[in-house]
Amino acid sequence: MDETSLRIAEVTQASTAGFFAQCYELFDLPALGSLIKCRDGKNEIVAVTCNARTSSLEPGRRPIARGKTEITEEDVFRSNPQLRQLLKSEFEAVVLGHSFDNEYYHYLPPRPVKLHSFVYLCNPDEIAAFSQSLEFLSLLTSARTEIPSEELVAACIRFISACHAEPATFTAAAGKKLAQIFVDDYPKLRTILLRLKL
Amino acid sequence: MSLDLNKVAGSIASMASDLVLQGLKRVDALNAAIDKFENPGDLTTLKKRLAQAKTSWLLAEISGSLNQRFEPSELPPDYIVIATDGSQIDIDRHHPARCCLVNIGRVYLHYGQNPDCFLESEPTLFSSTEELVLKPEQGNPGREISIEGPLLGIKRTVEEFRYLSHLAGKLPAGLPALALVDGSLIMWGLMSKDLPDFVIDAMLDKGVLKYISEIEKLNFQNQLALASYISFPRSTDVINSLRITVCPHQVPDCDKFCTSIDSGERPCDILAGVVDRELFWACLKDNQRSDVFISQSKISKTRYGCNQIYFFYIKAGIEIARVEIPEWVACRPELLHLTHSLILDQCRKGQGYPVALSEAHEMAVVSGADRQNFFYLVDEYFTASNLSTSSSAKSVSKNNRWI
Repeated sequence: MDETSLRIAEVTQASTAGFFAQCYELFDLPALGSLIKCRDGKNEIVAVTCNARTSSLEPGRRPIARGKTEITEEDVFRSNPQLRQLLKSEFEAVVLGHSFDNEYYHYLPPRPVKLHSFVYLCNPDEIAAFSQSLEFLSLLTSARTEIPSEELVAACIRFISACHAEPATFTAAAGKKLAQIFVDDYPKLRTILLRLKL
Repeated sequence: MSLDLNKVAGSIASMASDLVLQGLKRVDALNAAIDKFENPGDLTTLKKRLAQAKTSWLLAEISGSLNQRFEPSELPPDYIVIATDGSQIDIDRHHPARCCLVNIGRVYLHYGQNPDCFLESEPTLFSSTEELVLKPEQGNPGREISIEGPLLGIKRTVEEFRYLSHLAGKLPAGLPALALVDGSLIMWGLMSKDLPDFVIDAMLDKGVLKYISEIEKLNFQNQLALASYISFPRSTDVINSLRITVCPHQVPDCDKFCTSIDSGERPCDILAGVVDRELFWACLKDNQRSDVFISQSKISKTRYGCNQIYFFYIKAGIEIARVEIPEWVACRPELLHLTHSLILDQCRKGQGYPVALSEAHEMAVVSGADRQNFFYLVDEYFTASNLSTSSSAKSVSKNNRWI
């Protein structure tokens, strides 16, 4: 595990194909399409973030508007310091692959991440290394999430391309790969490509 | 079969009609009360008559004026509100484990430039004989009293004050603070004639009053007020005092003059049915508080000493609330003003109810599911220790609802 990786969250619900994680800091959510990782013994599980939300810690208690007499949004929290204890920011992650003996595999790991695993942001080197192969697009494009999958796919490719020395080259290669995956679904392919900086 | 609401709907409709009629009658009584409140006559005479009166109802002693109103002072730039609330799982006599649980919610809210907060709950299990029974000190007569039912409720209140005092002890020096509890500071439950002195001693002198005094002592280094907040109060202390203004007898004495007169026909019954909150809803403007009154409850007068309970009413947004304070808060203007302004601010932040109390309640509350899980856990440990988990036939019958 790279010690420079930033620990942001903890797994609260896990399955083979994905997991939910709660952020340690309220609102400190990773951007849509970010690559994150969890440790599983010597292995790492790599996933992409999607469908983040901030909501009440308790299902029966709904947040209400509190800022009518406040000047800024920060003032709402200054006047109601308990809010930070009563709200949670969490996100869903879709597993894109895993590493074993320092080698990346772009298919599902043998076991899901453990509950309470720490979640780290992948650093740019790790992202570049993981995305040397575009095989992860297979899991990414087949993910079933609450948000439209085209949005997730495009956000993830934009995020990863920024970590490559030549982002445009990476994006073009990813676009070609998507064209193979969506050979029978031109509208979907077009929707994604329109969201990439080609 | 479950509750058949169809069968009770008629009675509910009749109850509603009765209340409408009573409400119409109460309008006159409320107007009379407002008139007496605004024009009580000579205050010195009224105070003297209140002191001499022998009434069958509780009076409010007037400590300052009767009808003065007070605006809130400005909020301090930095301040802290602490609060506790509790709930309990009582002894289940159908369960083999003789134990109970008290869960105390604790809240610390720091407002100002560096806002901070912690919300916690602290459950405590009581299972040993020493914890479940109160008995007189050695050598003194009296039977043992089991801590369950209403007495467990009182024990819970003691625990709320114990944790509040503990929280207060950790307050940073130099910041104004308010320690808040829900309900009354007067331990009405201890006024039962059935309770022996050693119980009152344990719950009041060595319990609530000890912790209130500990909080007072912290005022040497802090500006720390203590108050309890009663939402939707039903008390009539002030109205009862106004009854004295209409009593035709120089020294009011209900037993002497009015026992032969039917209720509703006595001269003072022109104020009957009105409660203090209705009077102050009409007489206070938003954010104002009433003057401070002294509770004449026997337990407060005879046992609370320098913690004797005073109270005032406050118009905090959507309702009139009764705020009870010990004498050492009532008699120090800076603590009284702090209590007024911080309670208002708490109500504003809490949509009409002090946010610290509402969060303390959320921390403390034990739901039906929690209670069930608690007894499941007890059963699990009993099973692992080869102890019997068999419950009463009645309990089994309730849990297995066969046909």
